[in-house]
Amino acid sequence: MKVLTPQGDHLELLTVNMGPSHPATHGTLRIFTALDGETVVAAMCEMGYLHRGFEKMSEQGTYTMVLPFTDRLNYCSAMMNNIGFCKAVEKMFAVTVPERCVVLRVILSELSRIIDHLVCVGANLVDLGALTNFWYFFNPRESVYKIWEKLCGARLTNTVTRIGGFYRDTYPGFEDDVRKVLVEIEGAIKDVRGLIEHNKIFLDRTRDVCVVSKEDAISWGWTGPCLRASGVDHDLRKQEPYYGYETYNFDTVIGSTGDTYDRIMVRIFEMLESASIVRQALDRFKPGPLNTADARLSLPDRNRVYHDMEALINSFKLIYEGVRPPPGECYDATEAANGELGYLIVSDGGTNPYRIKVRPPCFTQFAAFGPMIEGTMVADAFGSLGSINIIAGELDR
Amino acid sequence: MSATPSIPAAASSMPALSGMPTTVPPPAPGAPLAKDALLALVQERFPGAVRDAADAWDLTIIVSADQLRDAVLFLRDDRRLQMAMLLDIAGIDYLAYPGHRRARFAVVYLFKSLVHGHRVKLKVEVDEEAPELPSIHDLYKIADWSERETWDQIGVVFRGHPNLKRLLNHHEFIGHPLRKDYPCQKRQKLSVNDPMLDQLELRLRQLGYSVLSEGQITSMPTRGLPGAIDGAGDRGQLDPDLRQGSNAGADQRGVL
Amino acid sequence: MVFKPVPPLPTAEPSLGDAFITTTRDAFVNWGRRNSLWPFPFGTACCAIEFMGVVSSVFDLSRFGSELVRFSPRQADLLIVAGTVTYKQAPILRRIYEQMPDPKWVISAGACATSGGFYDCYCTVPGIDEIIPVDIYIAGCPPRPEAFIEAIVQLQGKIGKESQKESKRVGA
Repeated sequence: MKVLTPQGDHLELLTVNMGPSHPATHGTLRIFTALDGETVVAAMCEMGYLHRGFEKMSEQGTYTMVLPFTDRLNYCSAMMNNIGFCKAVEKMFAVTVPERCVVLRVILSELSRIIDHLVCVGANLVDLGALTNFWYFFNPRESVYKIWEKLCGARLTNTVTRIGGFYRDTYPGFEDDVRKVLVEIEGAIKDVRGLIEHNKIFLDRTRDVCVVSKEDAISWGWTGPCLRASGVDHDLRKQEPYYGYETYNFDTVIGSTGDTYDRIMVRIFEMLESASIVRQALDRFKPGPLNTADARLSLPDRNRVYHDMEALINSFKLIYEGVRPPPGECYDATEAANGELGYLIVSDGGTNPYRIKVRPPCFTQFAAFGPMIEGTMVADAFGSLGSINIIAGELDR
Repeated sequence: MSATPSIPAAASSMPALSGMPTTVPPPAPGAPLAKDALLALVQERFPGAVRDAADAWDLTIIVSADQLRDAVLFLRDDRRLQMAMLLDIAGIDYLAYPGHRRARFAVVYLFKSLVHGHRVKLKVEVDEEAPELPSIHDLYKIADWSERETWDQIGVVFRGHPNLKRLLNHHEFIGHPLRKDYPCQKRQKLSVNDPMLDQLELRLRQLGYSVLSEGQITSMPTRGLPGAIDGAGDRGQLDPDLRQGSNAGADQRGVL
Repeated sequence: MVFKPVPPLPTAEPSLGDAFITTTRDAFVNWGRRNSLWPFPFGTACCAIEFMGVVSSVFDLSRFGSELVRFSPRQADLLIVAGTVTYKQAPILRRIYEQMPDPKWVISAGACATSGGFYDCYCTVPGIDEIIPVDIYIAGCPPRPEAFIEAIVQLQGKIGKESQKESKRVGA
C-alpha cells in the first residue's frame, strides 16, 4: 500500500494481519496492521471471534442458570465472575450475606486474582521469550486447582457461589491447603522476580514501551491493574469498599510510567498484596451460617419442609422457579482481576433475567490497543498485548 | 514504581455496594455528592431531566436525545461532577417488558468520577421508528467501541460515528441479536471474513496519511467455504433465507 | 490453486496384499507418526487454559511425543480445537486445517468444540465437525488434563491401525 505521510513523503506500507489464530494473541483477537518495516504505522483491531451470546443466553434461563455462563467470562479467574454476579443480584434483593460467606468470598476472590495474574504474567513473559517463568507460575496454579477441585469439584469453571451464599461449605483442611499454596505462590513469585527484575533484556523490552498516560487511560475507561500502572490510584476495594475490604490491611500498587514494565510489575506486586489479604481473611474465617436466611433466596431447612406448608411451597418455588429479583435496573461492580467487572441487570420481576449487560474490564483495554501500538515495533506490540490481559471470553462474551 | 499506602477517597455518603456496614473516614474535599444533590445539579441545568424510577438502587437520570451531548459534557466538565470515566454503554430493548408503555429502546450510559467517587447513569429513550442518537465518541475514547457494540446488538444508530461497523457479530450478519424479536437460535453463517482494508485505510486517514494505492490482501481467504458446510443437517437451525450461497464447487475463485 | 482429487499413490498392496513387508512398513510408519504428534493448539476459550495446564510440568504432554507445540499449521500434524468456535471464527478454522499438510488428525476438545456446548445461540457453530473432519472428541467443560492425555493415547491407538494402502493424497 502506498501512502503519503503527513510530512509529505511517499511511503510503502505492508499490510499484515495478525490473528485471530496466533500464538501471541492469547485467544481470538485480530490486529490488522500497516507496517513500515518493523514499525506499526496504523493498527485496527477486530474482536468478536469468541462472541458466544452470553447476554442472549442469560435471558433464556433463570438467574441461577446464568452462573455457569459467568464462569466462562474471565475463565482464568472464574470465581470472581460468579461472586460479582451474585453480589449484583443480592444488591437487588438488598440482602446481606453472613460473615462467613463474606470472608470465604474474599478468600476465593483474592486467590482467583492471584491465579489470573499468574497466567497473565506467565503468558506475557512467554511472548517476550522467557518460557521458564511460565512453568514456574503454572505449578502453583495446579495447586490452587487442586483446592478448587476439593472445594467444588471443578478445576477451572467453578460456579462456586450461589445467590445468597454457597451451595456447600468448605472441606476440612481447606484453611491449611490455602496457607500451603500461598507459600508456594510466594516462592514462585520470588523465583520469577529473580529471573526478570534485573534482567537487561526484560527491562529493555518493557520499559517505556507502549506508554499510556493517565488521561488516556481514563478516557479509554481503563480500570484495574492497567489503570493503576498508568499512575491512577483507583481500586474499587479502596474507593468503594465492599465485603469488608476497608478492614483489611493492604496496599494499592501503582505504577509510575504506564509502560509494559509497570503493567507487569503491578500485577506481580498485587499478587503479593492479595496473598496478604488471604492470610488476614483466614484469620477471621470463623464457623457460622454460610447462606442468608432470607426466604426469597435460600432454601428452608429440610426438616421444616416436611412439616410446614409454607416451607414446602418456598422450597418448591425456589427449586423450580429460582429467585425473582424485584423489577428494576441495577448496576453493581466488583474489582475483578482485570478491573471493574460490572453487571447491569434489568429485571422484570420474573424468573429469567430480562437483560444482563456485562461491563467487561478488558474491553476497554483492547479498544485502546490499536492506538496504543501505533509507533512501536511489532515485537513490542505483542509484548504489551500480553500486559493488558485480554481474556477473549470476557472481551467478546 | 511505588506502592503507596492507601488513601481512601471519601466514600461517606456513597452507600457501599453491598449491605456491609463500612467504617468510613470523614469526607475529604470533593466528597461524593449524595444522589439527591446530583439529581438537583443535573435538573437545574437540564429542566426536563427526571430520575428513572426503575433504578431503585442508584441514580439513573433520563434525558432526551437532544440533551444527550450537552448532558455528557456537563457531567464530564462541571467541577462538582467531573465524571471523567465512561464505564459502559448498554442498550435495552423493552419489547417484551410487561407493562412497558414508553419508547421501545433505551440506551444507558454509566459514568463515574475518579476524583469525587460518585456515579451516575444517564438513560436516553430511543424510538423504534427512528433509533438514532448522537455519538459521543469525541468526548470519550471508549465510546467508539461501546457505541459500535450497542449498534451491533440492539440496532441504535449513532449519528456521527466514524466507523459504525459490526463489533461482536460477523460482518455478514443481518439483524440485531439482542432485540427481543430475534430468535436466540437463528444462526447465520459467514462465508468470508472481513478483509478490513477499508477500516485500516480509514485509520491511516485519521492519522494524517493519504492512501495513494490500495493494499492487497494476501492473508485472508478469498473463496467461500466449500459446500460441506452448507449441509448442516440437523445440527443448528439455519434459516434457509440466510444460508450463504457458498456452494462454491462450480465457481471457486482461486486462493492467492 | 484449485484442489482436485488425484488417484492415490501406487503402493505395494495390489501385488503383495497384506504381506509381511507391507504390514511391517505400516507398523513402522505408524509408530513414527503416533509417537511424534506435534499439536497445533487452536485454542479459543477456557479449554485452551486447560490445554496450557496439560503441556505444563505437572501433566506434561511431551512425554507422549508432543514435545513441541507448534503455532504454525505447516509444522504441526495434530490440530487440537480447544474452545468454542463461532461462525466468525469458522472460516479461519477451515483455512488452518487446509494449511496443515498430510498426515493430520483433529481432536475436538471440550463440549463447545464437540457440539457447541451449552451455547445454543445465534453465533456458535454446533460442533466443529460441521467444518472439519474430527478424529477424537473429548467431552468436558473443560475436560480434565487427564482427559486430554487419554485422547492423545486413543489417537495413538487409532493411528496404529492405519494402513498406507488407504492413504489419500490431495494435490494440485
